[in-house]
Amino acid sequence: MMDPVFAPAGVLLIAAVLEIVLARVLSRAAKGWLACLAAAIATLPVAAMAARVLRGEVLTATWLVWDAGLPVSYRIDGLSVLFMLIATGIGAAILLYAVRYMEHEEEGVTRFYVLMLVFIAGLVVLVCSVNLLVAYVAWEVVGLCSYFLVGFWYKQDAGPTGARKVLVITHLAGYGLFAAILLLYVRTGSFLWTDAGPAFSTGIALLMLVAAMGKSVLFPLHTWIPEAMNAPTPVSALLHSACYVKAGVYLIARMYSLGPWHPALGNLLLLVGCLTMLIGAVFAVAQTDLKRLLAFSTVSQLGYIVTGLALGTDLGAAAGLYYTASHALFKGTLFLCAGAVQHATGTRDLRKLGGLSAWMPVTTAVWLVAAAAIAGVPFTTGFVAKWLLFDAALEAKQVLVVFVAWAVSLVTVFYFLKATVSVFFGTGAPEVRAERIHEVALSMRLGMGVLGALCVVFGVAPQVLMRFVVEPAVRALGFTWQVQMTWFGVVTGSGAVGVTAGAAAVVAGVVLGAAAFGFARAPVRTPVMVFTGGDPLPEDETLGAVDFTEIAEAAFAPVYALDPDPLYLRIWRGVRDVAASTGDLAVRVFEEHPMPTVVAGAAILCAGVWLL
Amino acid sequence: MSELPWAEVFAVLALAVALYALSLPQGGVSWWGLAALSAALVLAARAVEPSWGKVVCLDLAELAAVALVWTAGTGDAVRAARRYLWAIAPAIVCTLAGQALIGHAVTPPAAPVDKIALCLLLVGFALKLGLIPFYFWLPAVAAAAPPMTTALIVSIVDIATFAELWELRQAAPWVFTEHAAIWMAVALLSMGGGALLALAQRELKRMLAFSTIADLGLLLTGVVAGGPVGLAGAQIGALSHALSKVILFGAVGLAERRIGEPVTLDTRGLAARMPLAGAAFVIGALGFIGVPPGLGFAGYWRLYVSGAQYGGPALLGLLFLVAALDLLCYVRAIHRVWLGPAWVAVNGAPASLAQATLTVLAVGIVLLGLYPGMFTTAVGFAVAVVK
Repeated sequence: MMDPVFAPAGVLLIAAVLEIVLARVLSRAAKGWLACLAAAIATLPVAAMAARVLRGEVLTATWLVWDAGLPVSYRIDGLSVLFMLIATGIGAAILLYAVRYMEHEEEGVTRFYVLMLVFIAGLVVLVCSVNLLVAYVAWEVVGLCSYFLVGFWYKQDAGPTGARKVLVITHLAGYGLFAAILLLYVRTGSFLWTDAGPAFSTGIALLMLVAAMGKSVLFPLHTWIPEAMNAPTPVSALLHSACYVKAGVYLIARMYSLGPWHPALGNLLLLVGCLTMLIGAVFAVAQTDLKRLLAFSTVSQLGYIVTGLALGTDLGAAAGLYYTASHALFKGTLFLCAGAVQHATGTRDLRKLGGLSAWMPVTTAVWLVAAAAIAGVPFTTGFVAKWLLFDAALEAKQVLVVFVAWAVSLVTVFYFLKATVSVFFGTGAPEVRAERIHEVALSMRLGMGVLGALCVVFGVAPQVLMRFVVEPAVRALGFTWQVQMTWFGVVTGSGAVGVTAGAAAVVAGVVLGAAAFGFARAPVRTPVMVFTGGDPLPEDETLGAVDFTEIAEAAFAPVYALDPDPLYLRIWRGVRDVAASTGDLAVRVFEEHPMPTVVAGAAILCAGVWLL
Repeated sequence: MSELPWAEVFAVLALAVALYALSLPQGGVSWWGLAALSAALVLAARAVEPSWGKVVCLDLAELAAVALVWTAGTGDAVRAARRYLWAIAPAIVCTLAGQALIGHAVTPPAAPVDKIALCLLLVGFALKLGLIPFYFWLPAVAAAAPPMTTALIVSIVDIATFAELWELRQAAPWVFTEHAAIWMAVALLSMGGGALLALAQRELKRMLAFSTIADLGLLLTGVVAGGPVGLAGAQIGALSHALSKVILFGAVGLAERRIGEPVTLDTRGLAARMPLAGAAFVIGALGFIGVPPGLGFAGYWRLYVSGAQYGGPALLGLLFLVAALDLLCYVRAIHRVWLGPAWVAVNGAPASLAQATLTVLAVGIVLLGLYPGMFTTAVGFAVAVVK
């Protein structure tokens, strides 16, 4: 009899098999509903497990022997539950959205849903498995699903090109995890992470960190994610915001369970986190493609998450894990909105889009909520996450981290304002206006609406998420729970006075600003004069949000030189050239004159045997 | 570890080759006769206990494979067969002489017979398996012979030879333990050199040949390192190798038949025209290079563990470096040749039976990789029944 803890992955895999078996019977929409239903059902046992974990239980179970002497063993703690909830819960909402989104695809719909379901199941197994080798298989299954989903439109150029980059970077980085697992096994004779103990050295931790960096788009292994945006939008929402990139976050967090960290490792991770958030944000500013902008913003936000975890303190862990859940919500919502925009207009080019709020009010509203969350506006999850992070960094006396995080927040607001204005306000290009733009289907609105609503719910009542999900996860890592938070994310613990006062000032500023705006009775639709540094612009020429891209590109030029892709390309070309030279030599020596080679080779071997 | 039921595995592979060739003819009556003879000799060799009869059967299978290449009839094929013969004839002499000298003894014979025997075995097996620097026949055969001829040689005859080497490791461990450094050097040279040379190829069948050399080098590391983990890894890796190579050569063969020319890195977008063959190639390639959940991973992790136990982190690092080269090589092939917009025109109808055969093998690789316990349990049961 299978233990119920295997139910979430089991339900998802059974649904994947059903998708294949019933492929010729089910309509495209029915396939979508089946997948959505499976993900929703899988959430139920996860919720039941959450309740048990909340009572302090650690759920363990063993199923079949996966390989000789290696059973599939689960050890479910608070951290596992957090990631399972993200995978199944947000996965269900995104699959709901996908029902109508994928309805118009001529081919590959079964493949799409099978891969999405296997992906979610893979993530569930990854976060539950106590056997590191099984976890690695799940890690790679998740990676392969991402590869095939990014290359979903495999008859086009863009999809396969992005998929190739995804596979090469993440799989090669994944060798770090694989090598770490094997070295742990050689040292301990066990694949269970609970047996790691003193064998978990800094070298092994560094190897794992490389794998996490590849998966979680940390600088300098982040360059695959913009190319992955050629995937269907539900893929971007599920994989490249909510789940896939969180696999690396899970690994980093889990490393706290394996054994103590060397302080230098924490500092290194802090540096990587800060660089990632800075570079992601600066690159996001320069984008004119909506999904690429969101991709770079994911890079930046992952920097925040990892920075929180890298602090290595009780508050830091809480901040990192709350931010993880928060980011999954708001970034998933933003990607779904971007997909709705592309679905309605046929483009995601910010230079062409504009004025969509008139035709797509629901999408606009949901976008605004999620954009507010990512910008850290109060009453949203993003505000609570950022606040907690600043508090944690201040408590750890990492003032520089606070400054960087604050500066990146400003840049985040800037590029989200740019995206928001470019897409939903102003005027679109004629070819976009010529499209029959309309609001997307109800199930799509529901999918993104649910996620958007949660951004507000957990912004207003963050203590719910904290108490039932984040606290058990933090405790699972061996930290103590020190967050005392109430409605709207107000921190009530000692030492939080400064942050609370700062937040109160922000809220007061927003309220006063709104009041001043209201009293002034400013006409809403009057053109706004833009200071250009000289003569005013002619009436028919105005500066749009996208125009600031060029200004930003000039201002941040040195940062753009940090793009590691040219270096990767040089390495690849170098390897290829060495291979070509070796190939030419081998043809001339070994293939064109085989007999002397064989004789010489045999002589060398014999000499070796005799001399050694 | 118990020995895999190689006879059953080879029977399945021979059946797959036959079904493919029924759908996509590889040659005339002589091809069928020699292919059947070669496979039958391998099966006969597996059916008997270690003896001279077993050795002779395998050597005759090698000679039948040479004749099989010859039957293709083209100038290139005849030249390739001649090269193959030039390698196999001395290899047979060397291995026979070497085995005669050691007589499957558990302990080494007196000096200098032990060293002479070892030299003969080393050179003999290196020639038969096409290890670097003795590989000169394999790329030529792969490029000139029909795909199922190469698949039969690489997946059945070569792997049977490798199984013979594996048995020698069990029967006379001193052959490997007393001169492990030499064996390991050959293994690493083949592994690294093969991977680098595979990356240098533009024609897919030659690339597959060099990746065979690289993989055999990796498998040899498991045999040399020994121990239950290394030997099990070598066996499972060999099984994955055999299955994958039938799929890979088969998929390329399907493409070549329909585009009417060799598949090179300049051939683009084949999967758009032949999605099943494309899917089979992708699964076969990823399984072959050990990406989970393909069967290759079940062998690779054991080989890596034995490598780490034998040579520490340095050897493990080297194994991963070669794995990275393999990945780059196959991913380039997948993306340059199979994915993306179709640039090629295809003729004729798809060979349904051949496609179905490759599909079944590809599904098998994934299922066995997802749940290798099913396979290892079945093997344990089969071995127990036989005993």
